[in-house]
Amino acid sequence: MHELSLVQGLLRQLADLAGKHGATSVSRVKVEIGPLSGIVVDSFCFGFEVLAVEDELTQRAILEIVVPPLQYQCCHCGSSCPATTTMPDSCPRCGTTLLVPAGGDGIVLLQVEME
Amino acid sequence: MCDDCGCAAPGPKVVEVNQSLLAANDALAAKNRTHIEALGAVAINMISSPGSGKTTLLEKTIERLKGELRIGVIEGDIETERDADRIRAKGVPVVQLTTGGACHLDAALTHRGLHALEDQLVDKKLDLLFIENVGNLVCPATFDLGEHQRVVLVSVPEGPDKPAKYPKAFVSSQLFIISKTDLLPYFDFSPAAAAKEALQLNPRLAVMELSAATGEGLDGWLDYLRSLCR
Ligand SMILES: Nc1nc2c(ncn2[C@@H]2O[C@H](COP(=O)(O)OP(=O)(O)OP(=O)(O)O)[C@@H](O)[C@H]2O)c(=O)[nH]1
Ligand SMILES: [Zn+2]
Ligand SMILES: [Zn+2]
Ligand SMILES: [Zn+2]
Repeated sequence: MHELSLVQGLLRQLADLAGKHGATSVSRVKVEIGPLSGIVVDSFCFGFEVLAVEDELTQRAILEIVVPPLQYQCCHCGSSCPATTTMPDSCPRCGTTLLVPAGGDGIVLLQVEME
Repeated sequence: MCDDCGCAAPGPKVVEVNQSLLAANDALAAKNRTHIEALGAVAINMISSPGSGKTTLLEKTIERLKGELRIGVIEGDIETERDADRIRAKGVPVVQLTTGGACHLDAALTHRGLHALEDQLVDKKLDLLFIENVGNLVCPATFDLGEHQRVVLVSVPEGPDKPAKYPKAFVSSQLFIISKTDLLPYFDFSPAAAAKEALQLNPRLAVMELSAATGEGLDGWLDYLRSLCR
């Protein structure tokens, strides 16, 4: 359950942000979880549900998760394939089968709404 | 109140943050890397499911390289000192980190381990630092510890479908070791198929097959380690 430790980090970050902006309540949190991040979205949401209510600052916060589609890059010609959910069999430009995921492993706090 | 977002205005405000949740870990990992380099060492983060043979491989590696390279080990486990005891018996400095339930090491814990290990080093010098991560193929892959190389192991009894199921570990590693090859006659495991799947995820991955039990394939691994230290 490394999701839980990431949620703890997120809550610390929210407390910092709220302090910096003089906010007393966080209403909405938007987080991007890459499909290759190794993070289970359900576990992350569950962890947030459990931990966010423990603090007045975040107890009413709604968590919104964005999972971006994966992009692949061709090792041969360098061109990127359009984002898909499964790996394309070959590069649409040169036909090579050596494709690697480009990014998709990030876990990013995108946006926070607070008052 | 800050100047840049108009937060003095009443009502909800939306703040664009765009910061990785791993930013704090990654910053600390970078510090660890500097720290490790100050010792003169190359650090290797070893990732696998429980029981793939990480500790056994380290024991054999130390036996073979001890007179040649200065080796230190940081052992990560959820509980118990057993792995560290096994390494200590081989006569190299070792630190046991217990995560107390957490399924992975992170940079902060590794930082503590580095200091504890340094305290055991008379001349503050090392060539190779092994960090044996908690037995788990999923979570450790997310956390940079400050290592230079990441090695992922899959043992023959586990089956060859691990790369497809746990892509992150393979995408982020430099070397894939297929371990316990002495068991190949008893399992339906094709090293070529496993390698192919892994290379599809990460074409730059080096692949090695070895058995710590028989020593088969160990020379390639030892040469790989030597080349990292050069
Ligand atoms: N047949 C065979 N067995 C092995 C080999 N390497 C390790 N083993 C056995 O596999 C079991 C687990 O080995 P360990 O080295 O403790 O595995 P580990 O990856 O360190 O395990 P954790 O730290 O619990 O994740 C032990 O019983 C070893 O004796 C090998 O090359 N061949
Ligand atoms: Zn986990
Ligand atoms: Zn191409
Ligand atoms: Zn072990």
